[in-house]
Amino acid sequence: MNANIRRLVRAAVILLAVGATLAVLAAPVSASHVSVRTAFPSSATVGEIVPLAVDIHTADGAPIAGTTVTYYLHMAFAGVAGEAEIGRTITDAAGVATIRYQPRAVGIHEVRIEYLAPGLATAEEVVGTFDVAGGTQLVRSAGGVDIPGINPGLLMAVLGSVWLILLSVAFRLVGIARAGGDAPG
Amino acid sequence: MAPLSAWHERLVDTALAPIRRTSRRYWALVGLELAVLGWGLYAYTIQLRDGLVVTGMRDRISWGLYIATFVFFIGISHAGTLISAILRVSQARWRTPVTRIAEFITVVALICGASFVIIDLGRPDRVLNVFIYGRWQSPIIWDVLAITTYLTGSIVYLFVPMIPDLALFRDRLAGRTARWRAWLYRTLAIGWNGNAAQRRSLGAAIGILMILIMPIAVSVHTVVSWIFAMTLRVPWNSALFGAFFVAGAIFSGIAILVIVMAILRRAYRLHEYVTEKHFVYLGYLLAAFAAIMIYANISELLVHGYKLEEGAEFHLRQLFLNQFAPLFWFYLIGGLFGPILIVLLPATRNARGIFVAAVLVTVAMWIERYVIVVSGLRVPLMPYEPAEYAPTWVEWSILAGGLALFALLITLFLKVFPIIAVWEVAEDHEATVAAPDLRRPAVPELSPATGGQDL
Repeated sequence: MNANIRRLVRAAVILLAVGATLAVLAAPVSASHVSVRTAFPSSATVGEIVPLAVDIHTADGAPIAGTTVTYYLHMAFAGVAGEAEIGRTITDAAGVATIRYQPRAVGIHEVRIEYLAPGLATAEEVVGTFDVAGGTQLVRSAGGVDIPGINPGLLMAVLGSVWLILLSVAFRLVGIARAGGDAPG
Repeated sequence: MAPLSAWHERLVDTALAPIRRTSRRYWALVGLELAVLGWGLYAYTIQLRDGLVVTGMRDRISWGLYIATFVFFIGISHAGTLISAILRVSQARWRTPVTRIAEFITVVALICGASFVIIDLGRPDRVLNVFIYGRWQSPIIWDVLAITTYLTGSIVYLFVPMIPDLALFRDRLAGRTARWRAWLYRTLAIGWNGNAAQRRSLGAAIGILMILIMPIAVSVHTVVSWIFAMTLRVPWNSALFGAFFVAGAIFSGIAILVIVMAILRRAYRLHEYVTEKHFVYLGYLLAAFAAIMIYANISELLVHGYKLEEGAEFHLRQLFLNQFAPLFWFYLIGGLFGPILIVLLPATRNARGIFVAAVLVTVAMWIERYVIVVSGLRVPLMPYEPAEYAPTWVEWSILAGGLALFALLITLFLKVFPIIAVWEVAEDHEATVAAPDLRRPAVPELSPATGGQDL
């Protein structure tokens, strides 16, 4: 390898190093200029509606209003796992965004919150968790026509009547058995 | 004790004949039934070991041969209700020789039918979930309640009119039969000696049961139909389903009764009691219900075809032109129009012709149940290719085992219980001889001469 080629390689390496340094310096600023704090309940029960809040301020404490915040929950169902969006809102004048969520399963719930800080091109995120206990049945049909008297009680009354009639037949059989000692009529 | 006429003596001998004599052919039949049942049990052990994956059922067509057979068996259980209760209430004299076997078909068919639901579960222990986690809103719970009530009612309805005949067997076979058998008759006869108080109680019990069993039977098959009709499937969207299923049930019940009676008539020489007239009358009933079924089919299919909701076109094509066309056309022509033709033509309006019609109806009604179940699930709920279902050897084997169980229970019943309602036939005979033009009461008075003890 002659001297020219060596110089060329050295220059290329130096250029790459300078470029990499500039690229790092020019990258999007981290969230260090933004202060984000989640306010999740420490615990909840299945079916209970809980507020999931996030408080977004600048580094010097000023609230960031009007920022879109999206909530994602990690879920697993029927062998498929992934994130599902559970809500989207914007921060209010105090820099607070809140959604109301009704957990449907027990266990640790990991919520990822995505927001776009002012002056940034890409979204930033923060993760919060809360624990859910209990076993309330959530599937309750609100539809249907509620006709007074048409209910399981009526079904039981009909069924009970049938069995009472069958019982009356049983009493007749007891009567036959007890009359067995008499002479044939 | 009044002396018995030769006719009475012959009747009693005929009723006792299956118990007194056991031919080699009988044991050969029992052996065959046991072999088929054993094969079915073997297939079932395979299913228990490997799960429902050994069947043709999958996630999209999750009901197949088993549920079709369940509906079929529940249907033929209506034989007893119709012959024994409806005809008793309507004071049809001719019913008496066929009453007992009709009632027994009911009980046996219910037992076999219920077994197929458990087989379909895959894991039989999960039947307990119905009771542990059952919800009142589910037609399956209604089904369990209706079938258990019907089974109980049918067993009672089989037993109560049999009491005088059991007493007859107790007396006639005393000291001449096995001890267990003597004990059985003594116990089940519950001290019957035919006195006035017993006759009153028996008459009242039969009167109550014959009324009660009819709405129960109707409710059972209506609820079975609701399992389909209350599921969101286009082919099952029908308010007619309940009535349609009940009519089909009675239809197939009559057919299976004709078949069983024809076999017993030949095997036990019952020609004097089960006559040509009985077959022709049952044939008339068969034709009447075939006409009702034709009407129900037209009403059902025309409404579906006219509205042609999404999925209905696919369903009608698969019924009339594609996958199910051979089965469905056989059901329509062979199972509905064929029997009517057989009954209408004087040349075929006889025991043999009615037997052929009954076989056609039985096969057609099983096919109809199969087509309802499988074609209903085959209609895609989303725009994807329709699923296919083909029963595997395990399912066919279990089906054969179920039919063998049905035949075996009836075969064994013949060796223990009276196949003819002796006292009812005798009373009917007396009434006919005494006053041929008078109608007899729905609940017989049970004269001392026919009340068991004195026969």
